[in-house]
Order: sequence, then C-alpha cells, then structure tokens
Amino acid sequence: MKVVTVTLNPALDRQFIIEEFSTNAYHRIKDHKHMVMSPGGKGINVSMALARLGVSSIAIGILGGYTGRVLLTELNKVSPLISTSFVHIEEETRENIVIVDPVNHTMTSIDSPGPRVERKAIELLMKRYEIYLSRVEAVVLSGSLPQGLTGEIYGKMAKMAKERGKTVFFDMIDEYLTPALEICVPDVVKPDVRGSVTVLGERLEKLEDYVDAAVRLVKKGCKLVVISYEVKNDVVATQDGVWLISTQGEVEPETILGAGDAYVAAMVYKRLTDKNANMLDVAKFGYAAALAKTRKLTKEMPTYDEINEALGLCTLERLR
Amino acid sequence: MRVYDVMIRDVTAVTQDETVENVVRIMASQFLSGIPVVNEDMRVIGFVSESDIIRAVVPGYFSLLQSTTFIPDMNQFLKMAAKIKDKPVREIMTHPPLVVNENASLVHVADLMIKHNVKVLPVVDEHGRLLGIITRTNVVRAAMEGYL
Repeated sequence: MKVVTVTLNPALDRQFIIEEFSTNAYHRIKDHKHMVMSPGGKGINVSMALARLGVSSIAIGILGGYTGRVLLTELNKVSPLISTSFVHIEEETRENIVIVDPVNHTMTSIDSPGPRVERKAIELLMKRYEIYLSRVEAVVLSGSLPQGLTGEIYGKMAKMAKERGKTVFFDMIDEYLTPALEICVPDVVKPDVRGSVTVLGERLEKLEDYVDAAVRLVKKGCKLVVISYEVKNDVVATQDGVWLISTQGEVEPETILGAGDAYVAAMVYKRLTDKNANMLDVAKFGYAAALAKTRKLTKEMPTYDEINEALGLCTLERLR
Repeated sequence: MRVYDVMIRDVTAVTQDETVENVVRIMASQFLSGIPVVNEDMRVIGFVSESDIIRAVVPGYFSLLQSTTFIPDMNQFLKMAAKIKDKPVREIMTHPPLVVNENASLVHVADLMIKHNVKVLPVVDEHGRLLGIITRTNVVRAAMEGYL
C-alpha cells in the first residue's frame, strides 16, 4: 500500500444519464447502463483512480448503516489494489445523486450532508490512521466532513503524516482548508472551489485574485497549489512561479464528475513514481488526467495511456 | 486458486492495548467474528475471536454443558463481562496468531481452518503484515465454483 486516502464523509453515488432532463417532469430510464451506482466521496474516488494507474492504496474513513455496507461491498469489488478499513457507525452514510443530460450538456447534483459522527468513532479512526501511516508514502485528505466535525481534523491528520515524513495532499473547501492550514501545511493543495470560489477567506473573481491566492498558499509553505479557474483552466503555483494550464478544446460540464479526483490521483501517481518530475510536471499530469476523465460521461477513471494522450492537448502559459 | 484471488482486502485491525469493549463494538458494527491485532508496523501479533471473548467471560466447564439452566448464578457472567470490558485485548487474544500468506493455496487454508476450527484467518505478506482476511465462506464459495 503506497497511499492512504481519507474519506470522512463517503457517499454512495447514484448517477443517472437522462436525455433532455427537466424538473417537474416524468423521466423513465430504459437502459441499465444509464444508471450507475458507485462508491463515492473524494478520497474513495482517488483510491479508484489510483488503482487504474496501478497504485495500491488503503481507503479509510467512516461508513454508516445499510448504505455504508453497500458502499463497502461495491468498493471491495473495484480492484485488488484497494484495501479498506472504515469505522462503522449506525447512522446512514449519505447518497449523492447526479443527473447528467448529454443533450443539453447539464449536470444536476444533489449532495446530502451525511451522518453525525460521534467522538468515539473519530478516536477509533485516528488510531487506525496512525497504524496505516507506517505503511504508506503519501496521504490524501479530501472531501466534505460529516456533521460534528471541523477542518481542524484535516490539520491534525496532516501533522501526523508530516511528522512521519509522508507527502500530504489536500483537496477541500475553504471552510476546512483555512483552519487545517493553521495546524499543518500540506505539500500539495487543490482548494475545492466548485461551490464557493473562496480561498483563505477571500472571494476570487478576476484571474489576478486566483494568482494572488495561489501565491499566498505557496508562501505558507505549500510546494504546489492548483486552483480551478473557469472549468477548463487551472492556476498552478510552485516556488518557481505561477502558470495557467489550459486546453484548446471545450470541456462539457456534464463530464466533470470525478475529474477533480482523477486530477489528485494523477498528481499522487506522478509524485510517487517519477522522482525527476518537478512540481509543474506533477500538476500537468494531474490536469491531463482530469481532461482525460472528461472524455467519459460516467465516473470512470482514466488509464495511464489516456492521460498521456491528453498531455499533448495541454497548453501552458506563465503568469508570474 | 490462491488466497490472493478470494480474500477480503479489509485491513480493519486493533492494537494490543485496545479495550475488549471497543473490540466487541467493532466486531458488532462490522459483523466480524474476529479481528486481527497488529503492532505499529501492521504486523499481525494476535487475533481475537468471538470464542476468545466468550472463553474470558464464562468458566472453562461451560462448553461441556448442554444448557445454561445448569449454571448456578447468571450474575457471575455479568460480573465477568463487566470485569474484562476495560482490559486490554492482549490479555485475551490468541498469540501467536494463525495467519496465511496471500500466496497460499485455498486447500492449505481449508486444512488450517478445519484443524484449528477457525472461521476466519488474517492474510499477511512475506513480512507478516496484514493485507486482509479470508473467511470460510470465501473458501467454500471458491470450492462451489470449482476453483479450489
């Protein structure tokens, strides 16, 4: 096991592909291929993407009730490269619903809040996390938190990992990121700006705001910062400068489910397998993975060859 | 067929200082009949099964009885259960544990399970580190599919 992925608020993802989807209407799905149930939550998605790249990982977190058991059963079927160790609680794990309309190019998402997690469950999880740290090179801390938890837990987990010499990746909203950074700065951070475009408490509007936010994170000690800018672009900052990664082609919004997680997984892969790669190479490989993911409607993660193919479509522009 | 092909890649485990109460809680929540005990390097150093816990609570002659009506005082069990719940699991775990390598054949696993009358075995790598578990059902299912 090379990587531990932490998913504190997993979800059973239910994806429906419905042409010409509209609200207040009756839709019948005729093809089973157009309704996909898969284990979800950012960390779990990263584990699945890593498995596609031949990297073994251990997925840990909190699962609850019947839905949690279904999720675990499905996850254990995905790949022999994914090991699991979830703390089980009684309250049900959430289900997230995504409706993709390939005709109108829309994606409608309904995310649930998840169960309330008691302190006892967190204590058990932290004990396991400490054990598994001994077996891995990198840690991915990403995704939403269940009720009752705050971003400090990510900071504490990152600190434990850094003290043991592990490479730490963050992918989370600013509400968790800002308090986590007070405790520990990760190596790589990809703020989740899908819902609210806010980083370190500042709302980002112009490209310049994105650049400033990325530079601030680098100054805090992050080695690589990636901030998504207008769907198909990313502002990338390292200690050597700031770049805009983009692509000539269009990216359809209905294809982005799981793209961010493919991005993180590919960065982990590049960091672990190519010791000569600099941080910009790591970001480019991540971007290419996300781009390769958007070639698929469902949450199917890209292969190494697909990522390599997409690398040729990436453009790079130095901003600072 | 090898253990690798049918094992469950769940590495849920406890450390030897975990309380018996917590171990029972984990086993109940995950429908486990036993749980590996690991050290800080994830090497399997013990195994706690339902039988280990029951043995710690009830007197040795219990297995010879056909009915609990022979037991003179049920409070004795309740007292014992209360007494051991805060104890570290190392006091009741099976040590050294019975483990199988991920490359072992299923015939070997079946042989171990029958000889030692166990329902589940921890699966380890060449360094004795936990990789998952294999259950009787995993072995029987493989046999029914003609892969033993």
